[in-house]
Amino acid sequence: MKFKFIYPMLAAIALSACSKPDSNALYQELKSTDKLVFASMAISKTATMESPEIILLGKRVAVYSYNTYMQAYIDLSQLQPSDIVYNDDNHTVQISLPAVQTELAGRDMQMHRVYENVGLLRPDLDSKERAQIKEKANASLQREVATNPAFRNHLIDAAQRKARQYFESLVEPTGYTPVITFKTDAK
Amino acid sequence: MISFRKLRHIRILAKLIIIVVLLAILGIYHLKNGKKKIDVQPAKIERISTMVRLSSMDIYNEVPVVDTINNKVICAIQKQKGSISFDVEKLRIDSLGDTIRITLPHEIVELYESTEPNAWKVIDTKPIGPLALIQTGKLTNREENQVKARIAAKSKRELYRNGTVRRARTEAAANLRSFAEKLYRKPVIVIEN
Repeated sequence: MKFKFIYPMLAAIALSACSKPDSNALYQELKSTDKLVFASMAISKTATMESPEIILLGKRVAVYSYNTYMQAYIDLSQLQPSDIVYNDDNHTVQISLPAVQTELAGRDMQMHRVYENVGLLRPDLDSKERAQIKEKANASLQREVATNPAFRNHLIDAAQRKARQYFESLVEPTGYTPVITFKTDAK
Repeated sequence: MISFRKLRHIRILAKLIIIVVLLAILGIYHLKNGKKKIDVQPAKIERISTMVRLSSMDIYNEVPVVDTINNKVICAIQKQKGSISFDVEKLRIDSLGDTIRITLPHEIVELYESTEPNAWKVIDTKPIGPLALIQTGKLTNREENQVKARIAAKSKRELYRNGTVRRARTEAAANLRSFAEKLYRKPVIVIEN
C-alpha cells in the first residue's frame, strides 16, 4: 500500500524512458508452500457497460466477460506421521488428511469481448473503461463467493473425491486397504 | 471604413460563434462523460477440473507496464498472482532395493491477474509516431490482450531467470520426499528431471 503514491511517478519515468515492455517488478513476494491441489473451478463473469443513447449519434453498449479461478487444496505441511496409521493385522491404512481449503488463484488477464455497439459519432471504449468494467465485475464476484457457499461446496466435493481416488491409487499396490478421512476445517 | 451597422453584425456573429463553440465543447464533454451504467451478471460456474498438483511456490508480483503496439503506448500497473506446481499424477516411481525412487516431472508455471482491487490499473495511453496528431491513442481490446500476453510471458521468463523456478523445484523435491516417506515408511529419493 505504501507504494500507492509512487506508482504514477515510476510509471511516468518508465513511459518517458522507453517504449519496450518493462517487467522489473515494483514489488515481488515469493512464498514457499506445500499444497496438494485437487480441483479448480473456472467462474465466469459478464458485465455490460451502457452510456445513454443520443438521437442521431447512436448507442454505446459493450459486453465483456472473463474467468476467475478458485482452487481447492490440502496443506501437506499439516500432515503429521501420526495421521497415517498402518494396521498390519487387517492390512488397512487409516489416512486422516488435513481439511480441504479453497482460495482464489487469480483471474484471466485477457477480457473477452462478447458484444459491442458504438455509434459512429460516439467514442470507442478505452482501456480505462475496460479496467473499470473488470473492477466492478471483480468486486461483485468477491461478494458472491463470500456469501454463496455453493461455489466452495461444489469445489470441496470435487477435491475430496479426487483426493480419495488418488490416495487409494497410491496405497492399494502395497496390498493395504486405505480408509481415508478428512479433518474438519478449524476456520 | 467599417460602418456602425457592419460592426454590430460582426459583434453578433462573434457572439454566435462563441455560443456555438461553447455548446460544442459541452456536447463533447457530455458524450465523453455522460452517465455510464455498468451491470454485472451473476457469476456462473464454467467448469470444475480435477487434478493432483504439488504446489511449492506462490508468487505475487506488481509490475509496471509500458508497452507499444500499433503506434500506441500504454502505461499501466498490474498485480499478478501465480504458482509453480508439479503434476503428481505424472510421477515416475520405482524401487531400488528398499528405497523408493521418484522422478519429479516438469514444472507448471501459472500466472494470473490478481483478484485484489485495482489489479489492472491503466494510467495512460497515447499515440506515437508520425501520425500521432491525428491518430487515436486508444487501444482496442485485442491490442490490450496482446500486450497482456506479452507481460505474462515476460514475467514467466523472469521467474526462470531469477532462480525462482529452480528454488520451487528444490522445495517440491524436499516436500515430496517428506510426504512419500510418511506414506510408504521407507527411505525415498527424489530426482529432479
